[in-house]
Amino acid sequence: MSTSTPINAQDVTSSAHYDLLIQEIESVDDYLGPTFSSGTQTKFDHLIKELEATNTGISSVIRAIYDGGEHDQFMEHLDNNIKNHDKDIERMCNFHYQGFIDSIRELQQVKAQAMHLKSEVIDLNDALQNSASNVLSKGEDLVEARRVENNIQVTIEKLTQCLPVFSTYAKLQKQMKDKRFYPALKTLEQLEHTHLPCVSNYRFFQQMKDNIPKLRENIKVASMSDLKDFLENIRKFSSRIGEVAMKHTAEQLNSDAIMIGKKTKKKRQAPAPPNPFTGQISSSFDEEDDPSAQHLIDFSPVYRCLHIYTVLGAQDEFQNYYRKQRQEQARLVLQPPPNMHENIASYKSYVHSVVGFFVVEDHVLNTTENLISRAYLDQHWESALGKISNALRTQSAYCTDATLLLHIKDLIMLFITTLRNYGYSVNQLFDLLHELGDHYNEVLMQRWVQVFRELLEEESFIPIHVETRDEYDDVVETFPFVDETLESSSFPKKFPFSQMVPNVYQQVKEFIYACLKFSEDLNLSQSEVDDMMRKSTNLLLTRTFSGCLSSLFHKPSLALNQIIQIIIDTRYLEDATVYLEQFVSNITGSMVEGQVLGSRGEGHLFRVARDEAERQICEKLKAKLDNFLELENYDWLLVEPRGHASSFITDLIAFLQSIFQSFTNIPSSVAKEVCKSACEHIAKSLLGFMLSDDVKQISMGALQQINLDTIQCEQFAASDPVPGLGEGVLLHYFAHLRQVLDLLMAWDWPTYFHDYGQEDTKYQYVNPNTAIILLEKLREADKKSVFSALKKSERDKKKLLETVLKQLRQLAVTAATAGNGN
Amino acid sequence: MAKSYDYLFKLLLIGDSGVGKTCVLFRFSEDAFNTTFISTIGIDFKIRTIELEGKKIKLQIWDTAGQERFRTITTAYYRGAMGIMLVYDITNEKSFDNIKNWIRNIEENASANVEKMLLGNKCELEDKRQVSRERGEQLAIEYGIKFMETSAKNSINVEDAFFTLARDIKAQTEKKLEASNPPKGGLQVKPSEPNRKPPSWLSKCSIL
Repeated sequence: MSTSTPINAQDVTSSAHYDLLIQEIESVDDYLGPTFSSGTQTKFDHLIKELEATNTGISSVIRAIYDGGEHDQFMEHLDNNIKNHDKDIERMCNFHYQGFIDSIRELQQVKAQAMHLKSEVIDLNDALQNSASNVLSKGEDLVEARRVENNIQVTIEKLTQCLPVFSTYAKLQKQMKDKRFYPALKTLEQLEHTHLPCVSNYRFFQQMKDNIPKLRENIKVASMSDLKDFLENIRKFSSRIGEVAMKHTAEQLNSDAIMIGKKTKKKRQAPAPPNPFTGQISSSFDEEDDPSAQHLIDFSPVYRCLHIYTVLGAQDEFQNYYRKQRQEQARLVLQPPPNMHENIASYKSYVHSVVGFFVVEDHVLNTTENLISRAYLDQHWESALGKISNALRTQSAYCTDATLLLHIKDLIMLFITTLRNYGYSVNQLFDLLHELGDHYNEVLMQRWVQVFRELLEEESFIPIHVETRDEYDDVVETFPFVDETLESSSFPKKFPFSQMVPNVYQQVKEFIYACLKFSEDLNLSQSEVDDMMRKSTNLLLTRTFSGCLSSLFHKPSLALNQIIQIIIDTRYLEDATVYLEQFVSNITGSMVEGQVLGSRGEGHLFRVARDEAERQICEKLKAKLDNFLELENYDWLLVEPRGHASSFITDLIAFLQSIFQSFTNIPSSVAKEVCKSACEHIAKSLLGFMLSDDVKQISMGALQQINLDTIQCEQFAASDPVPGLGEGVLLHYFAHLRQVLDLLMAWDWPTYFHDYGQEDTKYQYVNPNTAIILLEKLREADKKSVFSALKKSERDKKKLLETVLKQLRQLAVTAATAGNGN
Repeated sequence: MAKSYDYLFKLLLIGDSGVGKTCVLFRFSEDAFNTTFISTIGIDFKIRTIELEGKKIKLQIWDTAGQERFRTITTAYYRGAMGIMLVYDITNEKSFDNIKNWIRNIEENASANVEKMLLGNKCELEDKRQVSRERGEQLAIEYGIKFMETSAKNSINVEDAFFTLARDIKAQTEKKLEASNPPKGGLQVKPSEPNRKPPSWLSKCSIL
């Protein structure tokens, strides 16, 4: 059936359209059905009708047909029926076709119009939408704006309320930043009590409230750090302050001197010291004509800090802190730098630091209340003073440079004056100065040891020989020596002393000058200075110079005549002490009050040196004599003496004689001593030969030879080789030897034993032990004699010898026990 | 007592003042030199022991003052001397010229057979030299004595000079010794004997 509907080709957009169409068709069919049924067909028609009418009763229809066996006919009938129907349908279709087409055509027209309408509606809708959306957004904006306006209103209100709090807080911050802590503290108070309560409902209120103690603490800390900076600064600059203070004192002293001198006040033109701090200070410095040292530094941190702590009620804390810090600083300041003794600069910086420290303390004391007290400062100073004295004393003790010591002295003097001006008590330091003075003298002595050593090293110790008047004048100008005969004698002239005398004299004068330098400005009385000078000079000559001379004597190359010259020279130097005395008086300006220099050791200034020199001469001569004595070559078994003295003895005596002949300039007292010691030495040596352990036997002949030699010596002793020696003085030294020889050669034992132990006897010096040793040696020599045992006389002699020995031994034993008994 | 030496030779140094006698002696005895000039007063001596051909020899060397004023003292020492060093200064013509006067002194005062030697000292001062070496040699030959140029300062020939002189004295002494004591004789003479041989000079009278 559907194929029979061609309208589909033209159409259609909507399926609903089809549905409508089909419904229409069926209704038509329904309509058409009965139309097609022909009344002629009886049974079959009825059956078919039945079939068509009911679907359900088909089975009964079918059965009816089959029961009748007429299904073929039914089929045929059915086909015919179908053919009729088809023909009906076809006819109806042809009939309705045009209408159908027209309907479709109309339908199509309607469709197009509907479409048009639809698009128009859509457009309209869009336009409406557009215009409405604008309005909507504007409306929303408006609502928003209204709300903002409202908010702003509220905010302004609130802000106005909070603003004072913030501005105060900002001020506080700024003040903190500018380190204006005290105003900051005030602002903080204002903030806390006036402004903050108004804004208590804000969260920042709590924050700020919490912050306030912290800020207070911050201020405390910050002002403390300021103070720390100050303390650090003051530590750095206190030496500078001290320097300026001391400079001012020095200038003061000078200007005082000028004032006294001219009686006109002269305005001090203090040169502007270099500015250690900021320009600000320098400007204030320029304004003030006479800035004191303490103005060099800005003390405001101390005041501020003190103020703040006072406000915060922590004054004690601050006081403790300040004192503790300053004490710590004092400890550092008072500790002298290592190797301070090496140069004056370290001394200066040390002293400046100390002065600076106490100037600052003084200033703080005067400008603040309750920070430090006078008592505290005085106590502090007392303890510091001890340390200062100790440090200066110890360090100066290392100092071996006299010039440096002078500088130190000046420095300490200035130190004393400066601190006294600031009201500190300084008496202890004067003791230090005295000690320093002693040390200075020691150092000078040391230096002059060197001077004298070098001087003596180069000295030849031969009398000064001058060719011309100028040369003569040179000597006379440097050394006070007046001698008429020398003056009038013709050139070339010869002084009795060597160059050493004027040189040493000159050096002593230099020493006195150097000594005097220390006592300058020391405010000592004339007599004190005088006393000190004389003491030092005396010490220089008796100790230093004499010591140098003594060490000179150890030089092996020093000849006898040089030593003699030294002795002569010391006499001239001694004579010149009167002039030194005058010299001291002249420069100290004191009255000549007797010979202080001399009276301390009149004539003895060079006693030590001279004694040493005499001893040296004796030693040198003894060494020479030993040279001879070493040539000794006795034949201890000599049968007959050779009738003349041994050659080494004659040589020795001749040499001694020529010595005393040649050394015409040797002082008589020295010559006497030397001669005595020479004789003593010879006598001892001769006796020593005989007693020597190396000599086992001595023959009578050898004894006689020694006797000959002794006689030679005795002749010399008796010949008065040195005028002025009393008779027998020299011979006395040979007495012991002589007695021993006499006793042995004369075999005078009865006398010896008889007189033994008595004074002034012939053999009083002969010791039994000496006699025993010699007798035994004689006996040993006798044994060698071939005939000794044969002759009766010899036997008797031998017997006698044994008796004598026995007797002597007894004597020796009693002497020994007597000696022990005593 | 063991003798510490075999021979004792006495030597004498003579010459003008300042020629360096003391320095020569100081060099020989101490091996040192002293620049400062200190003129000798009267007479001095030094002893040095040397060894020659196995013999220990003590040299007692007398240093005389060159100055005229000590002449009497120094002349007394000529007699005992066994060797004499005549010293002149090669930078000082006069000191060389004076050697003949010193020789005359020796001839007048010393033993006839004394050994002599001529020394031209200060030979290190070549640029100041006034007396040529040849003239020194010439003079030595004239007197039949040995000659050397020395320098006490630079230690030139000083040792040599003394050893040479000592050697000559030793030879002479031993020759004399042999002559007086033929070795075949039974009596042994002590080696130290010779120094007693010369007459005890300057000795005063002795008893016995």
